[in-house]
Amino acid sequence: MSTATTRPVGTPATAPASPALMPLFVRLKLSLLKNGLRQSPGRTAAYVISLVVTLLFGAGLLLGLILLRGVAGTPALAVLLTAILTLGWAAMPLFFPTADETMDPTRLVMLPLRPRPLIGSLLVASLIGVGPVFTVVLAAGSVAAVAHGAAAVIVGIVATVLIVLVCAALARAIATANVRLLTSRRGRDLAVLSGLFVALGAQGVNLAAQKLAQSQGLTALEPAAAVLRWIPPASAVDAVDAAGRGAYGRAAFGLALTALALVLLLWWWSRTLTTVMTAPDSSTLQAIEKDSGRKRAGRAGGWERLLPDGRTGTVMRRTLLYGWRDPKTKMGWAAALGVGLILPVVTAVQGGGSVYTACWAAGLLGLQMYNQFGQDTSAFWMVASTLSTRRDAFLELGGRALAVAVIAVPYVTLVVLGSAALLDDWGAFPEVYGVALALLGALVATGAFASVRFPYSIPSDGNKNVAPGQGGIAWISMLVGVVMGGLLCLPVIGLTVGLHVAGLQGLLWLVLPVGAAYGAVVAVLGLRLTAPGVLRRLPEILVAVSKG
Amino acid sequence: MRIHSLWKKYGDHTAVAGIDLALPAGRFIGLVGPNGAGKTTTLSMVTGLLRPDAGQVEIGGHDVWRDPVAVKSRIGVLPEGLRLFERLSGGELLSYIGRLRGLPGDEVDKRAGQLLDVLDLSGARNKLVVDYSTGMRKKIGLAAALLHNPEILFLDEPFEGVDPVSAQTIRGVLERYTGSGATVIFSSHVMELVESLCDWVAVMAGGKIRADGPIGEVRGDAPSLQDAFLELVGAGSRARAGQDLDWLGGGGAR
Repeated sequence: MSTATTRPVGTPATAPASPALMPLFVRLKLSLLKNGLRQSPGRTAAYVISLVVTLLFGAGLLLGLILLRGVAGTPALAVLLTAILTLGWAAMPLFFPTADETMDPTRLVMLPLRPRPLIGSLLVASLIGVGPVFTVVLAAGSVAAVAHGAAAVIVGIVATVLIVLVCAALARAIATANVRLLTSRRGRDLAVLSGLFVALGAQGVNLAAQKLAQSQGLTALEPAAAVLRWIPPASAVDAVDAAGRGAYGRAAFGLALTALALVLLLWWWSRTLTTVMTAPDSSTLQAIEKDSGRKRAGRAGGWERLLPDGRTGTVMRRTLLYGWRDPKTKMGWAAALGVGLILPVVTAVQGGGSVYTACWAAGLLGLQMYNQFGQDTSAFWMVASTLSTRRDAFLELGGRALAVAVIAVPYVTLVVLGSAALLDDWGAFPEVYGVALALLGALVATGAFASVRFPYSIPSDGNKNVAPGQGGIAWISMLVGVVMGGLLCLPVIGLTVGLHVAGLQGLLWLVLPVGAAYGAVVAVLGLRLTAPGVLRRLPEILVAVSKG
Repeated sequence: MRIHSLWKKYGDHTAVAGIDLALPAGRFIGLVGPNGAGKTTTLSMVTGLLRPDAGQVEIGGHDVWRDPVAVKSRIGVLPEGLRLFERLSGGELLSYIGRLRGLPGDEVDKRAGQLLDVLDLSGARNKLVVDYSTGMRKKIGLAAALLHNPEILFLDEPFEGVDPVSAQTIRGVLERYTGSGATVIFSSHVMELVESLCDWVAVMAGGKIRADGPIGEVRGDAPSLQDAFLELVGAGSRARAGQDLDWLGGGGAR
């Protein structure tokens, strides 16, 4: 230890004799895999199933790619697949940072290891597992689909190796850089929101896939591939294609580009690894957050002056601020707003669908009223210590409900208007709007009830939204709540159906005022009825929301 | 404040095993005991944050569980292990809790400004509490507990993890507060601190009160509260532990 500190960073260690790192890390990775399996039979089964499914899927892809040889547009597909594969590797350490424990360099910080030998061993270790095997199969398939001729086969073998290495190095480098990011609060906040990006990205892929299915053949991929073929490691696949066509210059360039990318990635990784392993992290040094102290005007901003006085306004302000500042709450809101808009739009664009899909927005935003106290985390004690009368409890719930309504009512209005405009079905507007408002009111009422009867903790870090052991409560509260919310809407739905059946289309506008009034009354009644329960169950709620 | 046969069990584990305690008003009272003695559980039950399995707690003649209106406005609490609303700035947190307590807005802002000044938090008033250090969190928690000028203040480990400068600030505020006739009840396992601050102590171990009374009485003939405490909780005989670790120390790593 004492000799190591005096030596400048970067010079090779001479004593103690550095152990052969590579076999050590390979063994470490294998034992981690083995121990992971040993934890429970369920995990073993899941692993075996995922292994079989992945291999079958990989084999299917390989077969399909080989069958596509010679079909027009296949090179474009191969390039695109490689690019997607790379993106997957890049995203994996961000979304599943604990998926591979050998990936976390901070675990090795206390050991006398140098970055350079570490990089080689870590890279080899990350090539063990199901994912890397799948990558090899897919890369080989992409290359096989475009390799025509002996020269192309030789280039193809090099390309496959390069693609796999670039993917692994990319994942490692990002994982290491991610460690730096995760030591700052803003980075952790972003990580929580990452799930949302996945959901929205999946929606984008879904739309793209549908577009592809509608068009004829793989040539629709050409424009995307025209760009991607210059980006490593997809350029390596293009190089194989070029070699098959005799364009050796371009083949060499494509391979060189990928090789250069590999070198640059390894260099970047080595640099971040050195920083991570030598610089103090947040556990030893208070992370300095520069941006949090930004000028928040001492006086309340414009919108805050519009809030009512007393407890209601105070609670509303806090709830709205949390919707923006707390990553978990923000994620809930963003998902509800995003999906509530996307669903009606997607169904409308795909043709068919009715204005009633706009009710999704009301449903999803109404769900924000669920588990209100769980969103407070254990800070709920501050609320609990100021609640002493039924009126306090009613105002507390009412403030939260109003905060939900302030966002939900205008948004639902916009979505219903937009859906009616998009489908050009203005006749349906009043009834759908009325039903949507009734649904919103019913969900606010049942949400308040569920918040009191079935509170559960929302862990502040990671992607989980329910603390371990409380998943059942969360599901029951959501499921029962939504069913009850639907049942509570029955009078309004009944009115709508009745008017339709009786052929009184001229009176359908009635659903709008009835639905709006019904929603408001149900919401207020629900809050009134649940308020005494809040007061009675304060300690129980606090215990339930303080886990994790 | 009077506690009568207070019980709390978590499964098989009894956290608090029948406490009877009467504490005088207007004193600086220390609740001391080793980790796991039940201090936090007791304070949570006394302040209405945790429901006891059995027993009564009276504060100023009002039952905490039957008459929360009278009790909650008179006490201030700083719990340990529970979070604050961390996504508010320090100033916003005080403004929020003060208005929840039903104080007029202007009064809240005035008191919050003064508390932030005294507690040396003015520079961080616009910073989110999530970015505060431990000492700053304790101080903003103390400010939130004092904002409505309670008669009794309950502090759970107020000096845990706090740097000496912040600790001195907290101490100054608490001494000024008790000087005006208010009561402070705080838990700690730092004996020197309790000895220098408190005039009344209650010693807890294994979920029971082992001794309570004016500090001189509890200390008895022992040279310091630390010795009296170790004797009371029966840890004196373990003090010579560590004789088997003969390889430890002396240089030459490995």
